[in-house]
Amino acid sequence: MNSLDPRVIRLPKTGEPGIIQPKVPLDQFGSFEVFVQPKEGKSFQHEGVVHSPNLELAYILAKETFTRRFTCVSLYVVETRNVFASPLTDGNNNVYDLIVDPPPSNKKEPYEIYHLPKRGKQHIHVGQVEAGSPEEAMSFARKKFNTKIIYNVWAVKSADIRFTSIEENDFWITLPEKHFRDAADYKGGDKLKLFLEKQK
Amino acid sequence: MYGGGNTFEDVKTDDVVLEDPNRLAVFEARIARGEKIEPADWMPELYRKQLIRMIEQHGHSEIIGALPEGTWITRAPGFKRKMALMAKVQDEVGHAQLLYSAAETLGKSREQMIDDLITGKSKYSNIFNYPTFTWADCCFISWLVDAGAIVNQLANAKGSYGPYCRALDRICAEESFHLKYGHHCVIYLAAGTAKQREMFQEALNRWWPPMMHFFGPSDKISTHTEVLMRWKVKMGTNDEMRNQFLDMYVSKIWELGFIIPDPKLKKNTETNTWEYTEPDWEEFKRVINGDGPCNKERLEVRRIAEERGRWVRKALASPKMAYVTPLA
Amino acid sequence: MNDLALKELLYKMADDLLILGHRNSEWTGMGPLLEEDIAFSSMAQDKVGQSLALYTMLHQLGEQTPDTVAFTRNANQFHNCVLVELPNQEYDFSLVRHFLFDTADSLRWNILTKSSYEPLAQLAGKIKGELRYHTLHANTWVKQLGSATEESISRLQKSINIVMPYALGIFEESPYETHIIDKGIFEGEKVLMEKWQAKVTEVISQTQLHLPDWKILTPVLGGRKGKHSEHLQPMLEEMSEVFRIDPTAEW
Repeated sequence: MNSLDPRVIRLPKTGEPGIIQPKVPLDQFGSFEVFVQPKEGKSFQHEGVVHSPNLELAYILAKETFTRRFTCVSLYVVETRNVFASPLTDGNNNVYDLIVDPPPSNKKEPYEIYHLPKRGKQHIHVGQVEAGSPEEAMSFARKKFNTKIIYNVWAVKSADIRFTSIEENDFWITLPEKHFRDAADYKGGDKLKLFLEKQK
Repeated sequence: MYGGGNTFEDVKTDDVVLEDPNRLAVFEARIARGEKIEPADWMPELYRKQLIRMIEQHGHSEIIGALPEGTWITRAPGFKRKMALMAKVQDEVGHAQLLYSAAETLGKSREQMIDDLITGKSKYSNIFNYPTFTWADCCFISWLVDAGAIVNQLANAKGSYGPYCRALDRICAEESFHLKYGHHCVIYLAAGTAKQREMFQEALNRWWPPMMHFFGPSDKISTHTEVLMRWKVKMGTNDEMRNQFLDMYVSKIWELGFIIPDPKLKKNTETNTWEYTEPDWEEFKRVINGDGPCNKERLEVRRIAEERGRWVRKALASPKMAYVTPLA
Repeated sequence: MNDLALKELLYKMADDLLILGHRNSEWTGMGPLLEEDIAFSSMAQDKVGQSLALYTMLHQLGEQTPDTVAFTRNANQFHNCVLVELPNQEYDFSLVRHFLFDTADSLRWNILTKSSYEPLAQLAGKIKGELRYHTLHANTWVKQLGSATEESISRLQKSINIVMPYALGIFEESPYETHIIDKGIFEGEKVLMEKWQAKVTEVISQTQLHLPDWKILTPVLGGRKGKHSEHLQPMLEEMSEVFRIDPTAEW
């Protein structure tokens, strides 16, 4: 292709110019929810979504999509369809008031619980419960974490999550030193002052 | 990076009267209280449609916006510029990723959005249909186009749709590096050799008209939709945004001794607004409809990129996968 | 300490990382999936950043500034292996190169954590996490695409066949090899190559891909001595196009 961009000039001939092959369903794969821990001791919070063919690649892709710019210490991902969401409330309506007790179950496993403390904000991890179903997890969460008005609750089976392993904790070590991605590394003030003085 | 330039078509508000009045009242009261709308909420069809269009176009502007600056990735002078430009263009791709996800929560798939971009059905910011001839053009974008985008994005971040606001908060935080980096580049050109100064002056001459187009047609000729303002979808008029940009950046350009190629440009201290030569809105329309210097190349590069990646995506598609709309 | 020997090691590592970082950065905005576009760009940035750290080390040893060294030398003054300078082709080629190079690179830095040259050992310790990510990324993609469809398997296989002789060029020995080993700076290219072959074999054996017989391959050598393919000089000219407008100017 004729272009000012040497990269574009090098592009191999691909298909026919202007002939578009529409995307098939799932061309962009399914979606995975991404949670990040900003600091040691702080809670994980929901940061967004990645598209990926599977959980392991979702973890790998989420790492640079969501943790390349601001310092953090850990990350995990879960497939969107494995996140169970409560109804959504507004005003002074606590969502826990809408959650009913399901029939008790036998086999329990750990679930992670997340709260939406304010509309427009992110879901924040509040802790874990042992339950037999997402509904039961929410009802146990009501007993354990119901302290103030919450607008939405998520429950995720811990086993469905791709966590960061202990060895992988060093992924973010050099992040604070990547000054080239940081506004603070582009102070032009001195150069500008010098220039302005010379102009006088 | 996104300007107001794309919400150009007329909005048909007729169907709003067909919405369920009770639900509409709850929805409007929620926005009036300053609460955000979340994906699981009921919302009027017009709200959904307008937001999809706006967020999607914003996403397209990011992924297409990665191209004119990307042109200089392999040629950035010195380590500091090379690494910064790589990271900056990468951020633009990241912003597209965030915005497409936000638009998806409203029910449009990423597949459909990308198809609509490549076929030209859906628009993106007009300014990226212009070429970057020199390094200085790239610096102009990094500084001033990003500055314009930030003016828009900060306003939109106060809008009513939760997922869009969250994406914009993140984008604005990332853009602060872009703006500082861009200004830094231009200061170095200004304080540099005669050749460097000349490079930037020429870039400024080329880019000023599309920069004035960036915020969209003048309020005199564009339609206002009161309901979209009330629903906090559109957060300011095109002229308000343009004026705010001029307020913040004209003095910074002048400070560096460059000449803005508009003899009429001055601030009217009485009205507190800027006066300028009326931008050529016919050109704006022509370019947005496909007849700009780079429209064809931009879409063709995107088409080729999607096409070349197809085998990768096809290989990993799994029958076990099912699409569900992202949650937030 | 023999400065020449140490500098030779630092130069070849720095040049490898700069050139491959540059090549990989060409994908930015054109990757096969938005998320992968971002990941691949980050790793390219890591590489250029690591090369800068090495050029800075060289500067402290009396060499010229990193910008001068990176943006003004000609191809015959570069010590990178030919593998990294080859132009990008389709994504299978870039992924296979990334896998073969980064496997060697991460093993090299792992050995260097015990280097007697303290600055190198320190840097090796610091970038461990970056390298862990690069190899996790490379291994996962190769394992998945290498066992997916007929098309993806044959594409990767074709790229492995093309790239492998060049990959063996990573381990071209330095004239100072014995000195470097004796002084405890680095265990040497032979040791590195053995570890690399074992690791590459381990990953590839989990796929439907096949490795060519190492013994019958002729490695593409010469890069370490400044003998390059026809691709490096134009790449360097492109890279320094703006810088060379006025190398004394500040950009």
